[in-house]
Amino acid sequence: MRRNTIVLIAVLFILAVFAWAGWANWEYRKQAAERLLAGAAQGELVPTSGGDAMNYVSPLDGKPAPNFALENLSGSKVALASYKGKAVMINFWATWCGPCKVETPWIVELRDKYAAQGFEVLGVDTEGDDLQPGDKAGWAKAEANAGKFVAEMKVPYPVLLDGDSISRDYGGLDDLPASFFVDRSGKVVAASLGLTSESDIEGNIKKALAD
Amino acid sequence: MGRMNWNRICAAVLLGLAGMAAAKAHGQFISNSPRNSSVIKTEAVQYLFPEQVSVPAGKPSAVTLHFRVAQGLHINSHTPSDDFLIPTDFSIPDGMGVRLGAASYPPGTIISLAFDPKTKLSVYTGEFDIQARIVATPGNHLVQAKLRYQACDQNQCMPPKTINVPIDVIGK
Repeated sequence: MRRNTIVLIAVLFILAVFAWAGWANWEYRKQAAERLLAGAAQGELVPTSGGDAMNYVSPLDGKPAPNFALENLSGSKVALASYKGKAVMINFWATWCGPCKVETPWIVELRDKYAAQGFEVLGVDTEGDDLQPGDKAGWAKAEANAGKFVAEMKVPYPVLLDGDSISRDYGGLDDLPASFFVDRSGKVVAASLGLTSESDIEGNIKKALAD
Repeated sequence: MGRMNWNRICAAVLLGLAGMAAAKAHGQFISNSPRNSSVIKTEAVQYLFPEQVSVPAGKPSAVTLHFRVAQGLHINSHTPSDDFLIPTDFSIPDGMGVRLGAASYPPGTIISLAFDPKTKLSVYTGEFDIQARIVATPGNHLVQAKLRYQACDQNQCMPPKTINVPIDVIGK
């Protein structure tokens, strides 16, 4: 009789452990779902299977590129929607970003190479991330720097200002340079974060141009 | 005898299963770390010390502030090699009972990066110190000084950032 009681207690204890394990599993899945939701707008670097090179996996891959209308250096509004039917590389950059400076001549060269096939680049300057909205001098300096940079680099494509206002739509952009390659239908087909090679950029341009 | 063995077997099997369930649940809880540690989410610069300084009230006093740049990153020195680059800059906002007279910055280390070996950069990496000459009014002041910097690694750059540098300044 006493032995049966001990066995019964042991069984109840074990059932309680099972219940706890079930609760823990449910709680874990709930936390995982919340993390997934929180990170939905945040791209991340993941290692490729082949080695150390990093591929940028953007949450926008395969989705329509978020539309925007920003002022260019001349003060005119330029909207992404007006480039529908063209393949577009949206290149987020800043004058303080060394790697951006390195890739800009490549982008200029590739833009000239593929322009006849319906390819265009939109450079989006994200100069003043920590500038306060009321810091007129800071914004003026940022705009002047952008103009100087574009002139020095002989950039032939539209350069738009205040990229910070749209960076959240493009995954937060904690780091630069960042580029999104949009096909003729307006869908993001590739993205890159950080300095990649000229041939990587060209590969992504070809993806955007492919029908 | 047969019944006793049956009870023992049942108990052993259930305990084993329970142990496995518990281990699995525990494993799930401790595996919440990001799946890729290389994602850049680190604070690029950390203020180390001092937390508190005591200085003669009304007299310029030198205070050495210690900072650390996260491993694998660099920030521009106070005198970067290019006008486009954002210098590291220390400041104390007005109205905190402590005025910044001047700040002395260390010279930058000259580096060039693999992607652009021709360009020389003047940067801070690892630990660096800024010597600030401050003038405090009498009393205890919880100063939120500021450090503005812009950090990069080998391939990408983070936007310029201003961090708080909290110092308890006692003017005697």
